[in-house]
Amino acid sequence: MKNHKSNLNIMKSTKFFISALFCLALVTSFTSCSDDDDPAPVNEEEIITTLTLTFVNTANPLDFVVLNSFAADGLEDGMSTETITGNFTAGVTYALSLSLLNTSENPAEDVLNGDIIPEADEHFFAYAVNGLDMTMTRDAGDVDGPSGSKLGVNTTWVANSAGTGNLQIRLIHEPTTVDDSDEFGSATGGSEDFNITFTGVNIN
Amino acid sequence: MFVLNRLELLFYLNVMKLNALIVTLLIFQLGFTQNCDSVFLGEIKDFHDNTPIVGATVFIKNLDKYVSSDINGKFKIENLCKGELILVISHVSCETKMVTYTIYGDLFKSIALEHHIEELTEVTVKTEEQTTTRTAQETLIKSDVLERYSSLSLGDALKEVPGVSSINTGNTIVKPMINGLHSSRILIMNNGVRQQDQEWGIEHAPNIDLNSASQISVIKGSGALAYGGDAVGGVVVVSPGRIIAKDTLFGRTIIGGQTNGRGYNITSSLNKNYSTGWFAQVQGSYKRNGDFKAPDYNLTNTGLDSKGFSARLGKRKFESGFEFYYSYLNNEIGILGASHIGSVFDIERAINAGQPLLIEEFSYDINAPKQEITHHLVKANYYKRFQGFGKVNVQYDYQYNQRLEFDVRIGDRRNIPAIDLTLQTHTLLADASLDSNLDRKYNFGVMGRYQNNFADPDTGVRRLIPDYDKYDFGIYGTTEWRLNDDLIVDAGIRYDFSRIDAKKFYLRSRWEERGYDVDFSDIIIEELPTQLLTNPVFNYHNFSAATGARLDLNDDNQILFNYSLASRPPNPSELFSDGLHHSAARFELGDLRFTKEVANRVSFSHKLNTSKFNLITEVFYNRINNFIYLRPFDFILTGRGPFPIWEYQQTDAELFGFDLTATYTLSEQFQFQNKTSLTKGNDLDTDLPLIDIPPFNTVNQIRYTNSAWNNFSASLKSEWVFEQNEFPDFNFEVEDELTGEMVLLDISTPPPAFHLLHFYSEATFELSNKTKLNVSLAVNNIFDTSYRNYLNRLRYFADELGRNVLLQLQLNY
Repeated sequence: MKNHKSNLNIMKSTKFFISALFCLALVTSFTSCSDDDDPAPVNEEEIITTLTLTFVNTANPLDFVVLNSFAADGLEDGMSTETITGNFTAGVTYALSLSLLNTSENPAEDVLNGDIIPEADEHFFAYAVNGLDMTMTRDAGDVDGPSGSKLGVNTTWVANSAGTGNLQIRLIHEPTTVDDSDEFGSATGGSEDFNITFTGVNIN
Repeated sequence: MFVLNRLELLFYLNVMKLNALIVTLLIFQLGFTQNCDSVFLGEIKDFHDNTPIVGATVFIKNLDKYVSSDINGKFKIENLCKGELILVISHVSCETKMVTYTIYGDLFKSIALEHHIEELTEVTVKTEEQTTTRTAQETLIKSDVLERYSSLSLGDALKEVPGVSSINTGNTIVKPMINGLHSSRILIMNNGVRQQDQEWGIEHAPNIDLNSASQISVIKGSGALAYGGDAVGGVVVVSPGRIIAKDTLFGRTIIGGQTNGRGYNITSSLNKNYSTGWFAQVQGSYKRNGDFKAPDYNLTNTGLDSKGFSARLGKRKFESGFEFYYSYLNNEIGILGASHIGSVFDIERAINAGQPLLIEEFSYDINAPKQEITHHLVKANYYKRFQGFGKVNVQYDYQYNQRLEFDVRIGDRRNIPAIDLTLQTHTLLADASLDSNLDRKYNFGVMGRYQNNFADPDTGVRRLIPDYDKYDFGIYGTTEWRLNDDLIVDAGIRYDFSRIDAKKFYLRSRWEERGYDVDFSDIIIEELPTQLLTNPVFNYHNFSAATGARLDLNDDNQILFNYSLASRPPNPSELFSDGLHHSAARFELGDLRFTKEVANRVSFSHKLNTSKFNLITEVFYNRINNFIYLRPFDFILTGRGPFPIWEYQQTDAELFGFDLTATYTLSEQFQFQNKTSLTKGNDLDTDLPLIDIPPFNTVNQIRYTNSAWNNFSASLKSEWVFEQNEFPDFNFEVEDELTGEMVLLDISTPPPAFHLLHFYSEATFELSNKTKLNVSLAVNNIFDTSYRNYLNRLRYFADELGRNVLLQLQLNY
């Protein structure tokens, strides 16, 4: 009697267990019917692919120097290639115009006028030279930057004497403090959106 | 739902059969009815193994008479009249049972009693610790300790256990670390559900509201096979309140405030239980703080806004029961503003500055960078106990985890997260525990799981983790043998199948740089101008096992030995990471070629337990083959300047160490405790120490208690963390292109040692019979010491918290 009963119990339990297993299998197979839609590609919107600095001789618009940096995947996380077209001439004054584009979009997106200038109060361009005898000034008509500074999009450069060296441009996002008293500009805090150095710039 | 219906049906069928039998019996008895001369014969048996129960007391309620069962478990009641017969049967260590029969004539009944009640976890309140495992290194944290952490997180509370540390991102993102291992190597069970909350990332803290837990168990190593076979580091079991089968209504409310961060928190729970086994429980909590403060400056943008809610409903009886559980957690966490960087030069400037480069006035505002995480968990389970067999349990659970990470962005994208991942998980479990013979227990179970990850492309940022489907199937068996009163041995094996099916875009440049064009050209499904869409599908077969023994040498000494084999397939982050992790300011690169990680861990513990002195010594050695870790590897030149690359690497590693807990009772009032732990980790391929291993630390505490003063207690705690001298030097030099100088980037050197003092005191006042008020006052970092923590990812940017005074009121009613 006792044995019979416990056998019956084991049988019942086994039945219970098997049906539980069955349900498990069934539900698992239900949920695994996933959709096979391919995900959409993401093209980084927030990127700058092309940075161009065009220095134009204020006395002769046909005399210019172009510094260009290009990164197909964006300056933020791709390898960039720098090209320098033309040489500076000692004693000449140049007006610098900047261009920041995202050419992965079609048509190319103007990042400078579309994003940065409208939010000039939280951006700052800082420049530096090493081995080059150049001076610069932020123009009176420059865009206002953070805390009374000038953003640094409209600047005037003077090539003083001949030489070869490096020229750096940085865009700082949300700097804590900025200082443009030396015109080139410096900042603390924030993060660099880009930091590009052109090496082998010549002043003849 | 389908499962339940099916089960219910089965259950009803069984009940119907039983009813039919009784009805037949009754009809059969009907013909023999006479007045007041019926005889009732009873037989009392053990529910589990059907052995007779000797000497049970049978109280015949309507006659107000007692009889007891004989050597065969039988008893006899004579001269019964027609009508109802109510029997109350009790026996030492059994649950008292009341049965009612209708007497028409002579009747024989077999009555099953639950004899081993004290050994079955579900219904008892035991004095002995209710651990999950028998031979593993397991430590319990009970509600009285958890309540002190009401305003903090799970990771903070777990540090009560020696050998458990945490890896942090700031002060509110706290990930538990067990014996030097963290993230995917730690399995977290939340009320029987394996937490699935993108636990792969260091800055992904467990999404559990600590206030919903009433007990937490920390198991070092992978001894608890029922939960999974991949717990290379350990298992954390979070359990909600125990259900008592009594008619009762009780609740708890905790209100707290703290000076640092001007934080406040409130949590409340209400429980309703019935003697019939029905129960209901609701709990909610809210926490808020603004910017924390280090001794010398504000930690701008470190606010937190956390909302939690949970509800349980069910019926818990010895023989069967069910439960529905729902929990919700929403966290909005600010990440130190100064930690947002652009290039390695920003890191270098931050390290050299010695303090954050962004310090503002105190504010409750939470701005980018920040995280916003939502976690829903739904669970339903049903169990039934079969006489002479054991217990069968089935469970379904569903989890929805959404992670939004907001980066510092410009223009219209300011309010669009840079990471938007939704992870959904369905799990079905069935297990059976055969405990009819308490000296030879067997457990076995199966698990099926489906998981889907969706990375929203609307972020406008290339996905760090791709869309994927993941399928898991597991089967296990464990056994526990009590060989004699002093020796228990256990063993278990488990097999898991895991399949991940992802759809991932690679930049062509990355695809070639990784050499995937050679090894994985067959998985490309679509070619775009700059990107390739690929379909990586990987299958993993994982075997795991555990065995151990526990021996009581004498009344004071106990030793435990445990060996476990764990295997863990690489997680999505280790396989697929590729690209800029904005919130971590680094490139993270995974590798499709990774194989599973296999760990062999042996542990030995000794427990000395005398009236004055308790000492728990735990030692372990963990050898992990194909150990995957993230290390700073190099930098790439980007338009932002050089940018650090962190690459996942696979190597062979070993970890070993010891954890000590010594408690000395000096007098009735004074108690002294020391907790010390040492962990070492080595990369066996490179002969370098492992990165992110907790330094040696020792915590000494002296406590005064006086039960006569409303259970007053006060304690002073000294926390001494040494400098980590064993670290791999992953520093690198980068060239400042402008000046041509080489700049050293010291990202490896750990911060110096530190020593902190903390104070805690509490007292409990009985406001009425059922109402108690507990008041506690704590001062953390009494001397406002400035220090940095090696295991904080933001240690380059800022100090840890300064002094914090916390006041907490707890009302139990």
